[in-house]
Amino acid sequence: MTGQSQTGAPDGAASPKSTRKAGSGSPVSLPHRHLLGIEGLSPIDILALIDRGDMFADLIQSDTAPPPFSETLRGRTIINLFFENSTRTRVSFELAAKHLGGSVLNINVAGSSVKKGETLLDTATTLNAMHPHILVVRHNCSGAAKLLSQHVDAAVINAGDGRHEHPTQALLDALTIKRRVGRIQGLKIAICGDIANSRVARSNIHLLATLGAEIRLVCPTTLLPAAIDMMGVEVFTDLEEGIRDADIVMMLRLQTERMEGTETPSQREYFNLFGLDRTKLMRAAPNALIMHPGPMNRGVEIDSATADDVEKSLIRTQVEIGVAARMACLEALAGASGDRR
Amino acid sequence: MTRTLFTNARLLDPAQALDAPGYLLAEDGLITAAGAGSADTTLRKDAEIIDCKGACLAPGLVDMRVQSADPGAEHLEDLHTLLHAAASGGISTIVALPNAKPVIDDASMIDSLSLRATRIGGARLRLYGAATRKLRGKAMAELGLMAEAGAVGFSNGNRCIMDSLVMRRLLAYSAMLDRPFIQHCEDHDLTAAGEMNEGETSTRLGLIGAPAEAEAIIIDRDLHLIRMTGARYHAAHISTRAAIESIRRAKAEGLPVTADTAPPYFMLNEMAVSTYDTAFKLSPPLRSEDDRQAVIAALADGTIDAIASDHVPVDGDAKAQPFGPSQPGASGVDTLLALTLSLVHQGHLELLRALELLSLAPSTILDLGGGALIPGTAADLVMFDADSSHIIRGSAFASSSRVTPFEGMPVQGRVLATYVAGAPIFRA
Repeated sequence: MTGQSQTGAPDGAASPKSTRKAGSGSPVSLPHRHLLGIEGLSPIDILALIDRGDMFADLIQSDTAPPPFSETLRGRTIINLFFENSTRTRVSFELAAKHLGGSVLNINVAGSSVKKGETLLDTATTLNAMHPHILVVRHNCSGAAKLLSQHVDAAVINAGDGRHEHPTQALLDALTIKRRVGRIQGLKIAICGDIANSRVARSNIHLLATLGAEIRLVCPTTLLPAAIDMMGVEVFTDLEEGIRDADIVMMLRLQTERMEGTETPSQREYFNLFGLDRTKLMRAAPNALIMHPGPMNRGVEIDSATADDVEKSLIRTQVEIGVAARMACLEALAGASGDRR
Repeated sequence: MTRTLFTNARLLDPAQALDAPGYLLAEDGLITAAGAGSADTTLRKDAEIIDCKGACLAPGLVDMRVQSADPGAEHLEDLHTLLHAAASGGISTIVALPNAKPVIDDASMIDSLSLRATRIGGARLRLYGAATRKLRGKAMAELGLMAEAGAVGFSNGNRCIMDSLVMRRLLAYSAMLDRPFIQHCEDHDLTAAGEMNEGETSTRLGLIGAPAEAEAIIIDRDLHLIRMTGARYHAAHISTRAAIESIRRAKAEGLPVTADTAPPYFMLNEMAVSTYDTAFKLSPPLRSEDDRQAVIAALADGTIDAIASDHVPVDGDAKAQPFGPSQPGASGVDTLLALTLSLVHQGHLELLRALELLSLAPSTILDLGGGALIPGTAADLVMFDADSSHIIRGSAFASSSRVTPFEGMPVQGRVLATYVAGAPIFRA
């Protein structure tokens, strides 16, 4: 579906009533200085970002004009500050910023996890002196993006903080689903794997629940966070049960350090019990779609035949749509970053 | 001979269940007379008269859990600052943990620190000896020699003794020396990389949860060892309902078990962590509201015997970090009295019970022989106004460590003066 230049009311959701936005035809105006998480965003904010991302995705795919597609970030400096290794997220943000005419700087801060923590505020102070407009930050500690936002003048986008949130991933996931299925409300979505350590899971639970999806979590009991049922989800420890009749099966990456230890006994057992293959997938709805935030461990949480199934797998689409979703986010914060300078 | 007569005081002595307008006479550092009403003229002879003007006069507070950054990290807070900060908080005796650098695991260190403290003035300093060498939880430190040098008990700092055999021997040896063993009750294997209390909040924030059960697991194990050894056992900074229930059962059974808690565990709960503010990173972590309510009930019914400040000097840099890697702990001596009095103002405790928790009980647990206004005991006193209100500001602390989880909290209770052996160590 396209929402291009029209006030595309999303399926199954109330049309946004706010006067802050005028549909996907103009930049989203968020009532926040930063984008630190999905929790705290209103349904209106979320829908507006998705609609705007939808429009950008059309624009990118239409091939009618070469990038940049907009001058919104012209003269604005965007710094990608990554304390954890990343290829797809960093490149996605970089491309999104360039599509909007912005100047992008990539900083990869290497080092041990302890050293990363020690240098966060020093790095923030140093970068702040260079007057960036938007800081895109990834860090291995939960709450790091919020801490950074308290010490810089720039608008901060959380590109993943520890086990907490990864809001742009959830937005791109929702946009991917919406473009393929047409709606989110009422969909049965199973999120499977290392829930305890996943920021993607938390952001997706917040976002998809806010938009009215039915969320199931599937994971071994050792990777299930405490009191997770308080987030309005149903929990399964049997993959085939958990994905029964599911419209979307979202697989999560199992961290390599958990493959053999006290959380799961072996890679072999994990794949056997919790890995997705064609046989197990038959339990899901006939038109079920598969998602994965990447990078995948083939043969651990998902087998290659399933991951690469062009009919069912949205994994490559997610990467493509990620740029559009992040354009909507960068654009929305560009206003805030400009006002304060 | 020096004579000091306190008049027009509201005398408060939990040891005698005394709460009455009265007077107190201190001579050469000892209380020699105290009673209701006004002092007769013979007591006034040659005495310095201090008119309390109706203020409360009670035994000086005994803070049984304090970390000193001196020796080892004097830039955070040296002994001089600590003992004077304690004095300004109404504390006449602090008992310092052995986790200094170097670790206080040797009689000579007890000697030298005690001697330094006497030269400083301020609050009295008493010390726990390290239970194990370098606090490693393996080889026993020289408990006997440290006891002779004045160690009031043995503690392994903020490290629990995980090895049950080591623990059994430590308890047996402490029993022989008739000194209490102070346990930090935490199953470190279970809490592992835990960053906050495990529960809905930790899940929402993506912080690694440390389950509350880690506290009771250790107490339950230790209770078996106490039955085997007969040792006096003190569970420090208790924070969970499960631990409290274990202690309640142990007391009912008649085991020689005591416990303390600290203000964060009756004033705050885990929800405070929601903003990732590292001032709320404490050890043990802030618990659930249900645990907090259990702590308050246990303070009222006597299951928890004492309140300590759990003062930990923390470097600002160690707190200016993401929540996970930030250092646990906060300053406590400045706010101990006022925060405890909030339980009185909220109707949870009688004033005398609050004072018992702060002075008589810790003094009794550690055989310090104070905490009462009985003639013959040291004239260690605190004079305070129980109702005067102020807002807690770390920047106003006498302590040089100004991290507090109570920043901006309104409280009632102001220390007017603190005395050690009849001499003022602090006057507002």
